[in-house]
Amino acid sequence: MAVEHATAGVLIFMLLLVLPVFYFIRRAFKESDLYVRRIAGIGAIDEAVGRAAEMGRPISFSTGITPVSPTLYAVLGVLYYVARKAALFKNRLILPQNDPQVMAIAEDVMRDGYRAEGRLSAFDPKNIIFLSEEQFAFAAGYMGLIHREQVATAFLFGFFAAESLILAEAGQQVGAMQVAASESPEQVAFFICTCDYTLIGEELYAAAAYLTREPVQLGSLLGQDRAKLVFFIMIIVGVTIATINSFTGWQMHNLGWYIRYPLW
Amino acid sequence: MNYRKFIIRLFTFLGGIYFFLEFVLPGKVAGVQIDQYHDQISRGFIVVGAMAVGLGLINLLMVHGSKIIFRRKGAINSLALLSGLFLMMFVSGSVWLADLNRANSVRKITSLASFAERIAQDYQIKKKGVKPYYVRNQLLKDAAFKALNELDNSVNKLDLSRLPESSTDSTLLKSLKRDFTVAMMESDNALAKLQVSESDKPDFSANNKVKQSLQTVAFLSREIKSVLYRYSTIRRIYTLLFDGLFVSLGSAMFSLLGFYIAAAAYRAFRIKSAESTLMLLAALLVMLGQIPFSIWIWDGFTDIRLWLLSVPNTAAFRAIKIGAAVAGLVMAIRMWLSIESESFERGTEL
Repeated sequence: MAVEHATAGVLIFMLLLVLPVFYFIRRAFKESDLYVRRIAGIGAIDEAVGRAAEMGRPISFSTGITPVSPTLYAVLGVLYYVARKAALFKNRLILPQNDPQVMAIAEDVMRDGYRAEGRLSAFDPKNIIFLSEEQFAFAAGYMGLIHREQVATAFLFGFFAAESLILAEAGQQVGAMQVAASESPEQVAFFICTCDYTLIGEELYAAAAYLTREPVQLGSLLGQDRAKLVFFIMIIVGVTIATINSFTGWQMHNLGWYIRYPLW
Repeated sequence: MNYRKFIIRLFTFLGGIYFFLEFVLPGKVAGVQIDQYHDQISRGFIVVGAMAVGLGLINLLMVHGSKIIFRRKGAINSLALLSGLFLMMFVSGSVWLADLNRANSVRKITSLASFAERIAQDYQIKKKGVKPYYVRNQLLKDAAFKALNELDNSVNKLDLSRLPESSTDSTLLKSLKRDFTVAMMESDNALAKLQVSESDKPDFSANNKVKQSLQTVAFLSREIKSVLYRYSTIRRIYTLLFDGLFVSLGSAMFSLLGFYIAAAAYRAFRIKSAESTLMLLAALLVMLGQIPFSIWIWDGFTDIRLWLLSVPNTAAFRAIKIGAAVAGLVMAIRMWLSIESESFERGTEL
């Protein structure tokens, strides 16, 4: 049963989040030199692909157990970039897969990457390997694959759960350069311990924008930074109201009340 | 824009707006029940997702099949994988079929139980276009006797010697068989009391008893077959493959985490920089606060641990989660409006 969230507060809140995004996407189409701060992990993607090319060993790109979701699309932006680079340097790119739906989409994106570089003939669908839908069977398959192929570089981008450390350790054991990105703070800790570079939380979403300088992605990245300011201001206001109420004994309504106040 | 792209974008937009409105609006708006078909729509997505499972199977066959055919490196492993796959498919399919047969074996009885109730309901609401209640009761009686007879024969034919004599299942089965015999007798009695001739005062209490006794018979017969099925060869093979191998191997993988955490912690806690020193100190304090005998060293460790976890750690967690949530929302909007697809179509120079 649907619940009513259609209140004036929610409408204003969503507009505050979304409008800056559209504004900056529009601006990004006009201005190509919008500034995005450098993130070490994203810069390392080129280095990692180059290292694999030098060593003549494959690259592995895992989306973990990411289902079809916004996170996956953020990851696909990076996959597209890595696929293009791999095609350019004639590297073998392996995609161990956990979800058949994701596999179909990832295969398309990887093929597009090779096509964009004019190397479609080098694209081999057999490099997209479905391992298992079961979490630990996937982890076991991934470990075996990394050891057999002796990958030079391993990318771990997307959603990961308890298997994150098993995957990252497998790369560590074969001496692969590893770049990981996860929005889950629990798994980020494991990646920081085992990977060379780790993108934390929203940096995963920023990666594709930073790499491709695509106006849509760049604009929305700048827009979402402004949207976060809305959250920041709300936290400050909320804490101030709660503090005043606590010290004076007043019963001022906090922000949640205004957001939930019914429209009709 | 070609038609294919247009259709994809249109469906993406419509799907997005439906789920958005379903979330923000109450179930009924201006007299229209907007969530009327929500279950069906959600199930539709599950069906589409299920179709993709075939893709995984095709991929496995392609990758490992080609290795076996062309005898590439690792062909033996691929053969083991595909053999396991087909064996598990066969065994799971057999288990599924056996479950289906068990359910079907009592379907006739459960349908008749529902029919007994329906006769009474139809009489009470004076439903038109149906035969008189006493004629329907006679039909019910004839069909139920026949079905009960068939069921009794099928239960009597079951080979009970499969069960070890001293097992708890053997005791359970004896008890179920006893209850089944009693339920069969009760069903016979209830059926005999059905009104099968026109009466001034129709009484449907027998119909209710018939319904209850038939349901009991169906339940007990299914239970007897379920207990016996646990000792069938195919079920034992399934248990061996799934619980004995698959689950155990999964647990073994999970247990590796313990060792990996120790290895990762060793690497992370080496003092290389100011940050890693800070991390080491924080980890040390949390560990000291966690262990039971820390209070013998100093009772302040527990409070420090709690403060570290609930203040700086929670603050960092929330910051990461808020940032990722905003980014996820923006990405979802881009997908909904099909702006994102531009990124993959443009083919920008690297």
